Amino acid sequence: MKALILSALKKRRHGPALSAPRVLLATYILLAVAAPLIAPQNPYDPLQIYGWEASSPPGAAGGGGYLYLLGTDGLGRDIVSTILYGLRISLVVSITSSAAAALIGLTAGVSAAYFGKWVDVAIMRLVDLQLSLPTILVALIAIVTLGPGIDRIILALIIAQWATYARIARGVALSEVGKPYMDAARLMRLPTRRIIFRHLLPNSIAPAITLIPIEIGHAVALEATLSFLGLGVPIDKPSLGSAVANGFQYLLTGQYWISLFPGLALFGLIASINLVGEDVRRKLDPRNHAQ
Amino acid sequence: MTVDHTNAPLLRVENLGLRHVSGASSTPILSQVSFDLGRGEILGIIGESGAGKSTIGNAILGLLAPEFQQTSGTVSFGGKAMDRMTAEERAALRGKRIAAVFQDHTASLDPLMSVGAQIEETCLALDTRLSRHQARARSIDLLARVGIAEPERRYGNYPHQFSGGQRQRIVIAIALAGAPDIIIADEPTSALDASVQKQVLDLIRDLVDETGVSVILITHDMGVISEITDRVLVMRKGKVVEADRTSVILDQPAHAYTKKLLAAVPRLRVTTGPPQTDGGSEIAADAPSGEGLRVPMHLVAEGVSKQFAPRGLVWGFGRRGESFGLRDVGIRLPRGTITGIVGESGSGKTTFGRILAGLDTAPSGRIIIDDQAYDVARSGRRSGLLGRVQMIFQDPSVSLNPRMTIEETLEESIRFGASARRQDSQANVASMMDRLGLARNLLARHPHQLSGGQKQRVCIARALLAEPELIVADEPTSALDVSVQAEIVTLLKETIAERAITMVFISHDLAIVQAMCSAVYIFKDGRVEDFGSSDFIFARSDNSYTRTLIEARPQRFTC
Repeated sequence: MKALILSALKKRRHGPALSAPRVLLATYILLAVAAPLIAPQNPYDPLQIYGWEASSPPGAAGGGGYLYLLGTDGLGRDIVSTILYGLRISLVVSITSSAAAALIGLTAGVSAAYFGKWVDVAIMRLVDLQLSLPTILVALIAIVTLGPGIDRIILALIIAQWATYARIARGVALSEVGKPYMDAARLMRLPTRRIIFRHLLPNSIAPAITLIPIEIGHAVALEATLSFLGLGVPIDKPSLGSAVANGFQYLLTGQYWISLFPGLALFGLIASINLVGEDVRRKLDPRNHAQ
Repeated sequence: MTVDHTNAPLLRVENLGLRHVSGASSTPILSQVSFDLGRGEILGIIGESGAGKSTIGNAILGLLAPEFQQTSGTVSFGGKAMDRMTAEERAALRGKRIAAVFQDHTASLDPLMSVGAQIEETCLALDTRLSRHQARARSIDLLARVGIAEPERRYGNYPHQFSGGQRQRIVIAIALAGAPDIIIADEPTSALDASVQKQVLDLIRDLVDETGVSVILITHDMGVISEITDRVLVMRKGKVVEADRTSVILDQPAHAYTKKLLAAVPRLRVTTGPPQTDGGSEIAADAPSGEGLRVPMHLVAEGVSKQFAPRGLVWGFGRRGESFGLRDVGIRLPRGTITGIVGESGSGKTTFGRILAGLDTAPSGRIIIDDQAYDVARSGRRSGLLGRVQMIFQDPSVSLNPRMTIEETLEESIRFGASARRQDSQANVASMMDRLGLARNLLARHPHQLSGGQKQRVCIARALLAEPELIVADEPTSALDVSVQAEIVTLLKETIAERAITMVFISHDLAIVQAMCSAVYIFKDGRVEDFGSSDFIFARSDNSYTRTLIEARPQRFTC
């Protein structure tokens, strides 16, 4: 009986299939994908923007036949449309950069463990150096060096994030390298590439993979921070972060909506990614499958 | 609680049944297990892995995980049923009246506490009336009783300062701290070397004779059973297949499974008298040098030395004043023969095997295969040694890539190895599977879906598919159940002979080495202590260490 209750409790802890964060995240992704279809305005097209309707309050009716549900920003762009398009940029940037950082970090960490000696020293000292600096500082240095642009910000985020994956993957790979199946692979004189990618990597990635969902949340926040500081995406293609920054100077004059609504959207996005990410991480974690 | 039912057995297990319940699935673990344990008796419980023998011990101790549900029967101690006792009464039994000794002596002791303090702590916990001074005196007394020399001096030492056998003695001392009625010993000697194993078993026998404690000895090893037990319970798949006095079980086993278990135990022949020479096997025996002219040598290793850092990586790892490694080790392998390397743990036999295969390097020494010399100081990949020798490892569960199917594993050497042939890899793999007695439907499975014996067969198949001329087998049967061991040994011997492969067979088990090998090298502390033909080593060698190893084996299985 006790065992039944325990197992029932365990099931309960994983939560129902449709939890609030999951619904929210799914909605965000749907909105981002469908943005060009549902957004009332294309904020990237100067012809659709009416400069004289800048800083309209929420609910104001525009000349172009729009209803500015959440108002317009300082350049006359519809806030709803800015959020929808900004969402696309935030999601693409964070997912691409996390995936690439994971791939690079895992390969670097596993290679360090496999080759050892100077390869290990070189890779891991670089990782130590990077992890001793705050992530935002690394991203700042990278973006200042690389220059502006969406591709550059993805690159900067990869540089800022790969080290975490490398360190975790190396630790796991070190214990795998010592196992006899790795010795057997070496005795077959398999090509090094095959030993690393077919034998070592698949058996070393589980703990690092569980990091990816969480790191996507970090990436969204990091990108928003960089954009807020004016170092991220270009001003004519605002992400959520730069949309918040655009309205920052208007806060004191009472035009709260320019910053507030993109800010809320950002908050909801990061929160839902983190909550779903934590859930996914728990499911992926092999230690939770022990029993 | 006092036990005064002189007519009732000390412990009675009646019709015990247990199930493991996990979610919706429910697996029977034990069914209809019944036995009595009398005072001053050693009861052996023997069975292969999964037989449920450890579960019995845990059930008596009340240490079962909540997933285990008792479905029938009772366990009664001193005439009182345990499931009618309160939690406090059961807790009072555990440790005080019923103590436990487990296999892993390293995990049983706290590495950051001196052994004396650990025994003292247990004494104080079990008898609250003791003063600290009395507890200390009792601890020293216990250390002396389990055969630790100079107990006053060793009292303050930490577990890492003792050898494995001494640590297990200390664990036994802790179990004795409460002067228990029963000690449940679960594989107490399986992690120990053969010579140490015998000493610990002798200690248990002496303690039983002196103090009248009863012991339940759980083991997979018929040798251990034959050495000290009074009665035996043979378990299979959660059921008792046979229970009787040890002498009856050993001499007149009634059940087919018991017969099979006994037949699977390798026997050592130490026939004295005229040496049984069968021509070519008499190599390197009496003339260590100069005989190379007569017999063609396939592999010769010379002067291999390797010193490990004296303190090891972790603080306190390894004993002070003892250096591990290899000192000037040489070996000669005639073509097409099987040569055994025997030694206890730490003798350097595994390190030497890995150096032969080119997996490890050593600062000095060289290996000559077919007149081609390799410098062992260079990495195997650079010197070209790697790949000339294949290996079969001890633990098949970590020798196969868990994320690859059996087919992918087996085809790999054919399709991607240095000697890639690319032709007919499927046909090759299939015929190899047939030869090794593996069903072809296993090809699509992953390693975790195979039994230990099947996995080891796959490992042998993988090594053979690389078409090596030399194979190093490092304890290839130690991680397997006894009945499977014999099959693997036979299979290995046959397939090696078919292909005229030269093999090094590393083992700690003299009987298996004798069955496999034509020549034997005995390793001790990184040196070759003794070597010669199999007949010479087991029947005529007068090396004292070799004799010690042979005498440490259970008498019952030596003839």
